[in-house]
Amino acid sequence: QGSSYRLQEVVEYLDRNQDRNKEGEKKKKESIFDLSKYIDKQIRVKFQGGREASGVLKGFDPLLNLVLDSTIEYLRDPDDQFKLTEDTRQLGLVVCRGTSVVLICPQDGMEAIPNPFIQQQDG
Amino acid sequence: MFSKSGPAVPELVDKCIGSRIHIVMKNDKEIVGTLLGFDDFVNMVLEDVTEFEITPEGRRITKLDQILLNGNNITMLIPGGEGPEV
Repeated sequence: QGSSYRLQEVVEYLDRNQDRNKEGEKKKKESIFDLSKYIDKQIRVKFQGGREASGVLKGFDPLLNLVLDSTIEYLRDPDDQFKLTEDTRQLGLVVCRGTSVVLICPQDGMEAIPNPFIQQQDG
Repeated sequence: MFSKSGPAVPELVDKCIGSRIHIVMKNDKEIVGTLLGFDDFVNMVLEDVTEFEITPEGRRITKLDQILLNGNNITMLIPGGEGPEV
C-alpha cells in the first residue's frame, strides 16, 4: 500500500529527470548522424508526399533542413503516383525543409531493381 | 560558404527577404511570391502571389496583397525562382 504516488508527484519526477544524463544536466539534443561527410557531395533526398530530389549538399542544420545546389527534382508519373518517370526539372539552389525529409542517401548509393515481391506463378 | 552546420537554413532564407521566392509544397501545389518574412516554423508571409496547381496543368489563382503561408506543408524553397514552366 506504500507505493501509491499522487499523480502530481509523478509529473514532478518526470519534469526533473527527463532528458537529463546522470549528472542531472540537461542532455543536449545530439544528432545520431553526421551530415558533414556529405558536404559538397551529390545526395538523393526523398520527401513526405512522394517528391524526390538530388543535389550537392551545401549546408544543413540539426533540424535536418538542407541547402542543396544544382538541384534536380525527379517527377512522378501523373497516372501512377508511385512510379518515377524519366522527367526531371532543374531547380538550382534550394532549401529543403527538414520536417518534410524522409530519406537522405548518396546519389550513387542506390539503384532501381526489379520488384522482388512479385510471386512467380507455378506451372 | 554554407559548409558549417548550425542555422544554415534560416540565414539563407533571411537573405531572400524582399526578393522573389518559389515555394514547393508536399502536394502538387507551388507558390511564387515576394518574401516579406518568416518565423521559426518557416510559416511565410508573401505578397504578389501566384499559386500553381501542377497536376491539372495550369496556373490557378493570382493573389495580391499578402498571404500567410502555413509552413506545415512546405517541402522546398527556391530563392529567386519563377515557378514551374507554364
